[in-house]
Amino acid sequence: MLILISCLLLFVSGLTLIVLRVVQPSARYTWLVAVSGGILALLSVLLWLAQMPFELVLPAWQPNSLFSTPILFRADEISWPFSISIAALTLAALLTAAAGPVFVNSYAWVGVLALGGVGILAVTAENPLTLLLVWASLDLTELFTQLRSVEGKTNNEKVVISFSTRVFGLALLLWANIASAAGGSVFDFKSMSAGSGLYLIAAAGLRLGVFPLHLPYSPDSSLRRGLGTSLRLISAASSMVVLAHVPAESLNSIATPILITLALVATLYGGWMWLRAPDELNGRPYWIISIVSLAVISALTGNPTGAIAWGCSLILVGGSLFLSSVQLPWLNRAMLAGAWSLSSLPFSLTAGAWLGNLGIFLPFVIAAQALTVAGFIRHALRPIGRDSLEAQPGWARAVYPAGILLLILIQFLLGLAGWNGAMQVGAWLQAVIASLLTFGLVWAMPRFRILNPIRAHWIISTASQFGGISRLLWSFYRSLAGISQTIILTLEGEGGIMWTLLFLILFVSLLTQGAP
Amino acid sequence: MNAPLLWIALPFITGVLILFFLRERYSALAGGGLSAILALIALIIPIDTALLIGSISLKISPSIQFFGRSFELNTADGPLLAIIFGIATLWFFGTEASGTANRFVSLGLMIISLLTASIAVEPFLYAALLLEIAAMLIVLLLVPAYQKPGRGVVRFLIYQTLAMPFILFSGWMLAGVESSPGDLSTTTQAGTILGLGFAFLLAVFPLYNWIPMLMEENSPYATGFLLWVLPTFTVIFALGFLDRYAWLRTSPQLASAIQFAGVLMVASGGIFAALQRHIGRMLGYASIAETGLLILIMGLKPSEIVNLTFLILIPRGLALAVWALALSIIKRLAYSLRFNEIQGLARRYPLAVIALLLAQLSMSGFPLLAGFPARLAIWQELAAQSLGITVWVFAGSLGLLVAAIRTLAVFVMVDEEKKWGLNESWVQSAMLGLGVIGLFILGLFPQVLLPFMVNLPSLFDHIGQ
Repeated sequence: MLILISCLLLFVSGLTLIVLRVVQPSARYTWLVAVSGGILALLSVLLWLAQMPFELVLPAWQPNSLFSTPILFRADEISWPFSISIAALTLAALLTAAAGPVFVNSYAWVGVLALGGVGILAVTAENPLTLLLVWASLDLTELFTQLRSVEGKTNNEKVVISFSTRVFGLALLLWANIASAAGGSVFDFKSMSAGSGLYLIAAAGLRLGVFPLHLPYSPDSSLRRGLGTSLRLISAASSMVVLAHVPAESLNSIATPILITLALVATLYGGWMWLRAPDELNGRPYWIISIVSLAVISALTGNPTGAIAWGCSLILVGGSLFLSSVQLPWLNRAMLAGAWSLSSLPFSLTAGAWLGNLGIFLPFVIAAQALTVAGFIRHALRPIGRDSLEAQPGWARAVYPAGILLLILIQFLLGLAGWNGAMQVGAWLQAVIASLLTFGLVWAMPRFRILNPIRAHWIISTASQFGGISRLLWSFYRSLAGISQTIILTLEGEGGIMWTLLFLILFVSLLTQGAP
Repeated sequence: MNAPLLWIALPFITGVLILFFLRERYSALAGGGLSAILALIALIIPIDTALLIGSISLKISPSIQFFGRSFELNTADGPLLAIIFGIATLWFFGTEASGTANRFVSLGLMIISLLTASIAVEPFLYAALLLEIAAMLIVLLLVPAYQKPGRGVVRFLIYQTLAMPFILFSGWMLAGVESSPGDLSTTTQAGTILGLGFAFLLAVFPLYNWIPMLMEENSPYATGFLLWVLPTFTVIFALGFLDRYAWLRTSPQLASAIQFAGVLMVASGGIFAALQRHIGRMLGYASIAETGLLILIMGLKPSEIVNLTFLILIPRGLALAVWALALSIIKRLAYSLRFNEIQGLARRYPLAVIALLLAQLSMSGFPLLAGFPARLAIWQELAAQSLGITVWVFAGSLGLLVAAIRTLAVFVMVDEEKKWGLNESWVQSAMLGLGVIGLFILGLFPQVLLPFMVNLPSLFDHIGQ
């Protein structure tokens, strides 16, 4: 029930904002309503600790003979760290909105609250059917929120591409279900058949929300920072939770080393691009690619709980950086706590991330982690391009840093007592080497040209590589359409009936060939 | 009271009266109201069971003789009648919002009553005749007065008419098969002829080309109604055959033919839908794919056939009604339903577009929506039998999904900055809103259908028991 309460607090707050927007468009307390909902939701998620583990079971689908899996949500050591991170991010997004250029009751706040609620449902989903339903609702929420807030043909197209990519992730999850049923096993996180786990990971990968690379908002839009951060990070987290659920046995396949290699390439690429991104918002897709790939490597090397650590880092460390729109030197230094959280050093948030057997992949993983952390440090200390709090009223100057500090505080708390397996020394030697490499990179960045940030338009040209793939897909699609058009014209044309009857006779004769 | 009089004669006579005497603005109310009342009666009052209300004893007798033929509606038919008239209520109330003429309600009522008669008539082979008469009435529904029928209508009538002799002839042969089940050549011939009859009736590949043609040429609402009503009753008719003749259920050859036809329809329907540039034709192909699923179900475990069939049929009725209504609203604005005519309409008709997309997604098996639970069950059942078949069925659903995404892309594609605005009337908004809510309720809680479905297996003596 507590799960429902937390989500309802967010949904009801969002609904209240919509009602206020219609009934009292000039109401000045709408932000307070939104923040109150966020605070209550965060507190309610903290309350889960008193009862954990507990479940929320919705009425079973009928008839029983056809549907064996119930719709089930569960608060446990896997879902709680994700839930508290999402609730904190939602609240932080609303608190930091106080320093935004436009401060009115906005559908963006409704979007942030709704995404928070659906995100919590997604990470508490206890079986793939439940996850499927929550992912679908997340996709529809995102679709309608984005369509409502974007302008222009290209941006609308990006929204549709993003939706379609996620929907194909849904289809992969469904296929994992079918593959499991074909193997004679029930599709459950605990008892899925060998091979289904790989489909599950591929589904999560498709749904990270990094394609298209950039959100459909103009670069100067405040939506890109507040709503955009919630969109990107909550979507990614809702997919990453799958990694923590996949049992190591279901990944025993000859394809596993290949997948690790692919994830390694992705994380090295993501880390490199993130390090050299012109600013944090342009680099955000690479941040997600890099962190999620690290989580995938953790899961594939037999340490699914490592994925929890990376998932929480993605939201909390990334959230603190991406929501920072104001230049405050002391806050920038405080954000460096994120580097600690990402370092895998003892008692940090990611201390338990590398407890699996990395084998020959170890040096590459260290390099990828160092690139990611060095990139974070560079973006956190970036002095230019942010606004000032000078023009803001006193309360906004107090509230804005509170949002960022909340995310930093939760990083420490989760590192100490987030889940079974938190607060440990971990692979300390590996962490020390990664940290030294990070410092080396931070030292080298201003000194070596190759490490300098790339220009923003270079990133756009990177995105155009996807344009090549899409052109290839389009030409395949057009050739298929040509073939289908020929068939349709033949069957619907003047001689259509004769052709149809001919086909029919052909089928009947084929089918009756095997007759006794 | 008499059940056939209540659910067959009354709607037919009301349809005639509406056609000749009622003004257009009241016809939706009259037809929808009557259907709703008939659905409620079917749900609440059991047939052939005495009901004591105060001092009045009420009993609906089950049968009536008409020209030497018997029409029987039993207790088990109650939920089926409730489903049929319940969904018909949605269609009839929707005519007001879709702007279709009163011919729709009057002819619709007559068609429903004739098709209800087709499940009640004994000997049951006479159903083929009633289906043919209904098909002729459908032609009147599709072709506006004083207009030449299009090629799609002509082809529809040809194929439906060709079905009738095959069904009647197979019925004559089946009697021979029953008397000498060991005669394999007669069995094969009877099976082939029966299969051909149903291939024409259910518009199996490649006999379905009239469906997209109709969607392009005719009113989307009338064609949508046809695509709901005809396959629904034909499938029930086919289940009757399957239930009656044991050798049909046990023949491995027929089972493989059924699977082949079903897979071909699902896969080709989905793939062709993905490649269309006309949103009306997409509806046509989606309904073809769904009819393919209904055919595939007949080849599954006999104990699950009835449950799965109705788990598909009920959401299908709702999704088609919502989709067709949204198409009608859009068609009143755009001259045709081709992609180049409907670009950017999402901002002017957001409710119609959202309803259309959700209905389309529902028929592709998108989670959360009405079509999903049934498809999930079918995929699981099929996967346990053959992964190869499941791949093709899944590909068909993916095709429908691609079609939905393309439709979405076209609707939101707008060059100039246009403000969002609601241009739908309140009746249209209410009908679309109710339909969309229904799609979500059936998608999240399919168990709400249980009161209707729990007694449906008793309609058939052998399958579903």
